[in-house]
Amino acid sequence: MEGGIRAWEGLLAEGVPESRMAFFTVASRPEELIGLAWTLEEGSRKFYSEISSLLDDREAITLFQNLSAAEEHHKLSLMNLYKVLSGAEPDPGFPGSLIPAETSGDLMEGAVRVSEALTWAKGKVLVEVLELAISLETNSYDLYIKMERQMGDENSRRVFVHLSREEKEHLAWLAVLLDKKL
Amino acid sequence: MGILDYFRPVSAMTAEKVREFLRNKKPEEYNLVDVRQPKEYERGHIPGARLIPVGELADRLRELDPDKPTITY
Repeated sequence: MEGGIRAWEGLLAEGVPESRMAFFTVASRPEELIGLAWTLEEGSRKFYSEISSLLDDREAITLFQNLSAAEEHHKLSLMNLYKVLSGAEPDPGFPGSLIPAETSGDLMEGAVRVSEALTWAKGKVLVEVLELAISLETNSYDLYIKMERQMGDENSRRVFVHLSREEKEHLAWLAVLLDKKL
Repeated sequence: MGILDYFRPVSAMTAEKVREFLRNKKPEEYNLVDVRQPKEYERGHIPGARLIPVGELADRLRELDPDKPTITY
């Protein structure tokens, strides 16, 4: 339901950058999917890293820093998988050489713009920021489940299963903190 | 082609449409799922909604009838 419970209660959600987009594969090669996933991970890493500086809550800052570090690990896993699949080191233009245009790093899971989400988050209460992060991680979880299905070999599927499990774990971290702060 | 071409818009029902839908259907004709956290659900939810936090959704899909329309919020 558009706007969630706030819309149901007749309240206006103030420009929440929630995702209304879902990954829909048009990519033909596994390397292309890896490049896309890496780009979105980089956007999320940037978002989590920068959101930490807008918050006062110690627990939230630690959580977002941990999430930022986790996204960095995901980028590394994806890069390693790329090396295995392509049999080569990524070229300096990675991942721009694999996916079309716009790899400025301003896009994260669910095709949400990092800059838009950070602008929205300024002055918002922690609960709202956590709700946004939950929606981002949900998209991420969904993305990796879909990408796993696209992978042709067992090794690649294992990597994406691992990534989706970790995104699910991130969701749980966020849910625990949200429950605590409500 | 740009990076956004990997994504497609997801259509969603407005709150008004959901009200109309719920008004015209019996509770046994649909799945209504609140995917928020338990405390949020306790504070208020749409009448008849079942709580399945989003992080548990994939593991609890069997609780939903796949033959019925599902509304989540």
